[in-house]
Amino acid sequence: MRRAPAVVVASAAGFAGIVAMHSGSSPSILSGTGPSTPVSSSPATTGPSTIPTGPRAGAATTAIGTSEQYGYGVLAVKVTVRGGRITEVSTAKLQTAEQYSQTLAQQVIPLLRNEVLSAQSAHINGISGATYTSEAYAYSVQSALDVLGVK
Amino acid sequence: MASLTFDPAYAPHGGRHRRQSVISRPGAVPRPVVAEVATILAGLGFGACVALAVTAESWKQLAAPGGVTMFLGNLSGLAGTYLALIMVLLVSRVPMVERVLGQDKLLASHRRLAPWPISLIVAHAVLLTFAYAEAARTGVWYQIGAFIRSYPNMLTATVALVVMVAIAVTSVYSIRRRLRRETWWAVHLFMYLALALAFTHEIALGPSFVGHPLTRLVWSVLWASTAGLVLVYRFGLPLFRTLRHRLEVVEIHPEGPGTVSVICRGKHLDRLAVAGGQFFEWRFLTKGMWWQAHPFSLSALPRPPFLRLTVKGIGDYSSAVARLRPGTRVAIEGPYGAFTTHARRRSKVVLIAGGIGVTAIRSLLEDLPRDCDPVVILRASSAEELALASEVAELVRHRKGRVHELVGSRSEVRTDRLSELVPDLQNRDVYVSGPEEFVNRVVATVLRLGVPKDSVHFEVYSL
Repeated sequence: MRRAPAVVVASAAGFAGIVAMHSGSSPSILSGTGPSTPVSSSPATTGPSTIPTGPRAGAATTAIGTSEQYGYGVLAVKVTVRGGRITEVSTAKLQTAEQYSQTLAQQVIPLLRNEVLSAQSAHINGISGATYTSEAYAYSVQSALDVLGVK
Repeated sequence: MASLTFDPAYAPHGGRHRRQSVISRPGAVPRPVVAEVATILAGLGFGACVALAVTAESWKQLAAPGGVTMFLGNLSGLAGTYLALIMVLLVSRVPMVERVLGQDKLLASHRRLAPWPISLIVAHAVLLTFAYAEAARTGVWYQIGAFIRSYPNMLTATVALVVMVAIAVTSVYSIRRRLRRETWWAVHLFMYLALALAFTHEIALGPSFVGHPLTRLVWSVLWASTAGLVLVYRFGLPLFRTLRHRLEVVEIHPEGPGTVSVICRGKHLDRLAVAGGQFFEWRFLTKGMWWQAHPFSLSALPRPPFLRLTVKGIGDYSSAVARLRPGTRVAIEGPYGAFTTHARRRSKVVLIAGGIGVTAIRSLLEDLPRDCDPVVILRASSAEELALASEVAELVRHRKGRVHELVGSRSEVRTDRLSELVPDLQNRDVYVSGPEEFVNRVVATVLRLGVPKDSVHFEVYSL
């Protein structure tokens, strides 16, 4: 085809254009290694909020992480830290796009909670088959931890 | 002898024989840059689609079970559907593009591109089924059921896939050969429906679209615009022209053994912009023929209120044309074709016609200016098969050119003969028209003799 070189060059340009527009948003395979800083993946995010409970030293503090829109739904996690340890993780908000995602989230969130508690951080492996849910969960936990000033 | 309504002694660019009859408007001048821009945009879009799939991935997703398969499934879905969009655009008959590239070349590109979108879309379905099954640790068959039951829009998407595969199967040459043209065509039209059915699942489930309203908007606008173009140019404009010009057959005029000219009368033909060498898809609204549209070139520029096409009787349809009754209404699509004077790079030309290919050459000649010094080569297997030869001779004489009739089994248009007849071949634009095999051979010969590719123009007559 005579116009083949033009098509190839245009394709490369289109590719580069989209990549350029995307960088700065949620990390993808093109922006380096896995997620290390929590970045919300869509504009529909609300900031983390702190609910300080009780007196300071040794007392528990709780924060609700950012609402993470993960494509198939939105979830936000509430993290409780006592004496520098994560003691409780619960779901502050969960709204899913459809039934399948709802069922999946409900099955998977308890497992994610256990992972966070045993890892004592947001750097968890995630559950296979629920990759987006796991990532959103991790991001939300990390943002809550940031607010609490832990790790 | 020419029909009473057509007189070949017409000089479009002045001269002693100028007639007073009003000629229809010349076609709009094709702008080659349109084709270049369209190609670049198509490439840009493709690269963007691939990038959409890549930027929607993260290393974590790839590392998860079924992750790589899922990525490939997403990528093939995006790329395949984008190419399907290009397929639709290629046959949308948008005038600005069609008059530069020509309907025959656009159809050829459409056919050549076809395996890619269909393979990618089938791969998309297969890969994602395996990927989801692997991630959820279920069986593949269970996963297919899960898709259809619990994901939105997957039922319509599956129906769309089945329709697409059916269309692809019927288009495989060995199967298409066995089908009647109308059957194949009716099945093929369902592709519009399949693409419409598949659209909702793309927006609802594609990782690049969910949660990305801008991407969704662009994709939707792209598809809506394509649908609009198809409605307007593929269906609307032909219908409009048919209703406006109200063509009907007035005379069937024999031109030689098995060859007839069909003279049609219509309204407002002075407003029908046609260039010499162009063709229409003709639909004769009579029993047995109304469901088929066949391409035939005009064999002369319109003489309002008359149009003429010349048909050789190969096959049932063409033979039925010879039996058309005056008063039969005609629906048209067109004019199409880039086989016109606008395609010329040089002022001098060589026109080579094989058999019924002479019709396009005959109407093209009317549009060529006097300084084109035409060398016309008419090839036929017997002398009586040289339809319209006298008209061609008259037009060529007026332009001070030469006609060579190569008749008989020994007079092929071969390299040595061609360079003998046209010593300055490399300095001329070459127009070749006729049956596929003839055109391929002559074009190859002409290129071998050193004519630059941009100066070779051809039109293939296929059944």
